[in-house]
Amino acid sequence: MVLEQDHALEVVDMAINMGPQHPSTHGVFRMVLVVDGEKVVDVTPHIGYMHRGGEKLMEAMDFRQGIGFADRTEYLAQFSAELAYVMAVERLMGIEVPERAEYIRVILTEMNRLSSHFMFMGAFGIDSGLFGTSFTYAFREREALQDVFEEVSGDRLMYAYFRVGGLAWEVTDNFTQRVHEVLRGTQQGIRDLDDLMTHNEIFMARCQNIGAFTAKQAIANGMSGPLLRASGVNWDLRRDEPYSVYDRFKFQIPVGNYGDVYDRYLVRLEEMRQSVSIIEQALEQLPPEGPIVPEKMPRRLRTPPGEVYTKVESPRGEWGVYLVSKGGDKPYRMKMRSPSFCNLSALREMTIGQFLADAVMILGSMDIVLGCVDR
Amino acid sequence: MTLPDGQEQEAEGGAGEAPATPPSPEAAAEKPAAKAAAERPARPAKEAEPKEAPRVAPPAGSINETLAAAAPGVAMTAYMVPGTRGESVAVEVSRDDLVAVMTAARDDARLSLDYLRCLSGVDWQEEGLEVVYHLWSFSKFHALTVKTRVGYDDPTVPSVTALYPAADWHERETRDMFGINFAGHHNLVPLLLPDDMTDHFPLRKDNPLQEIEEWQGENLRDGAGEGEE
Repeated sequence: MVLEQDHALEVVDMAINMGPQHPSTHGVFRMVLVVDGEKVVDVTPHIGYMHRGGEKLMEAMDFRQGIGFADRTEYLAQFSAELAYVMAVERLMGIEVPERAEYIRVILTEMNRLSSHFMFMGAFGIDSGLFGTSFTYAFREREALQDVFEEVSGDRLMYAYFRVGGLAWEVTDNFTQRVHEVLRGTQQGIRDLDDLMTHNEIFMARCQNIGAFTAKQAIANGMSGPLLRASGVNWDLRRDEPYSVYDRFKFQIPVGNYGDVYDRYLVRLEEMRQSVSIIEQALEQLPPEGPIVPEKMPRRLRTPPGEVYTKVESPRGEWGVYLVSKGGDKPYRMKMRSPSFCNLSALREMTIGQFLADAVMILGSMDIVLGCVDR
Repeated sequence: MTLPDGQEQEAEGGAGEAPATPPSPEAAAEKPAAKAAAERPARPAKEAEPKEAPRVAPPAGSINETLAAAAPGVAMTAYMVPGTRGESVAVEVSRDDLVAVMTAARDDARLSLDYLRCLSGVDWQEEGLEVVYHLWSFSKFHALTVKTRVGYDDPTVPSVTALYPAADWHERETRDMFGINFAGHHNLVPLLLPDDMTDHFPLRKDNPLQEIEEWQGENLRDGAGEGEE
């Protein structure tokens, strides 16, 4: 028997399916990765497993009923989603929101940002191999924040507390005291996560120099929020296109240098500290008394015909609502510009050329919410 | 109204005495309407409600003038639309000019609208399908909304993915929901809908929400709950 000389090793690219039920996809998300050895050569994301036709359903519901749908779309930053929606209706109807209601909205939205970022820290720690310690730290504090939301709105997850014109009802009597109490724990939680992860050598090795995006790439791909800031774009809607009463607070916008996964983590960590500062300032300025809905509020919400595009800085980026009305009590067209959807569309470009194991980290660093991607 | 009168009326209507001449259907239809009108005065507010938003032309020196200079020979209608804070300019262009306008908007140094914020489809029924592009400039801090309309018979709009990679998934979603084809898109396959669902467009207005209307009909019909006011 003669062995064939110069036998070239036959190499084929392999397709690996990940999801839709996979712990690292953070929901029902599926991607098909084509790998050459350990290198990813192509990625095909498949979404839509959770598509519920929310935009269509909202066209059939009046403006008050639509608020519940905003919650169910973005179920980790419900207050941001509610805020963008009620702001759109208020803008069309020309309603001025009372000051006290605006401050309570800001406090709750920022607390929601904290709880959402805690969720990211916990889940991202697991992606990077921290075996649940980060999850325990994060969820300990997230639970306390959710207790406040439950006390205020009566629900743990689907708050529907923001209403067109203001709030559904007055906050609890001990609201200010409770928020102060919870913030102490939150600050401890941020410190704990910082100590656990930021300078952890394994964590750093797994995060640095992967999935890097330049500012130009991030803008061209329509990214927003912490991903855009990590890429070096100094941009935050709360400061640059202020809504509600955000122009009355002093806070810093963290910006990354390298645009990699580690920068995205650092940006979110610093954003949490800034959110705590915003809440403290808002609690100081919060008018102790006052109406939470305008004096003359129509019982039936009817908008004049027109269109409006409102946007808020949600924990994931720009949450936009494009509302078209033909008059009447229902939206004619209701488009939700979800930041998760827009950020995730860049996954292919971000993952090609990286290692297979890093694909999970890159996806984790996007902090997607599948309800918000699929709507 | 006194009681005997009522009794009399009831006797007239309910005793089965056929009137000499049966009332014509027109008269029968008119009578309750006239009665209702007499009891409840018409609502002037409802009559006065405008059907379309008034269009205000942008003030001189607005972004649409720069755009017209950057894309010469393009016919466009400009008007103001409300935003989160303040107003911004929207321009309507024909689909043949869309790529020229978007190229000018992105590449012209005076505009440099480098960020495609949002892309939405709107079904205007008789007036066709509309695609709305929300643009933003990170260097100049200004916004622009570009709109284009196409008919149902040929719902094709040129794709802007070559200019704005961000449009990729937005265009696929709009194709799913409205059946608008984006000519030149590299991969226009269903994104949110199942792979074989290519002939049914859920967000078009000719798709009523039947099941919902069944279980919530009372709440959803036009003008429901008006009596509470």
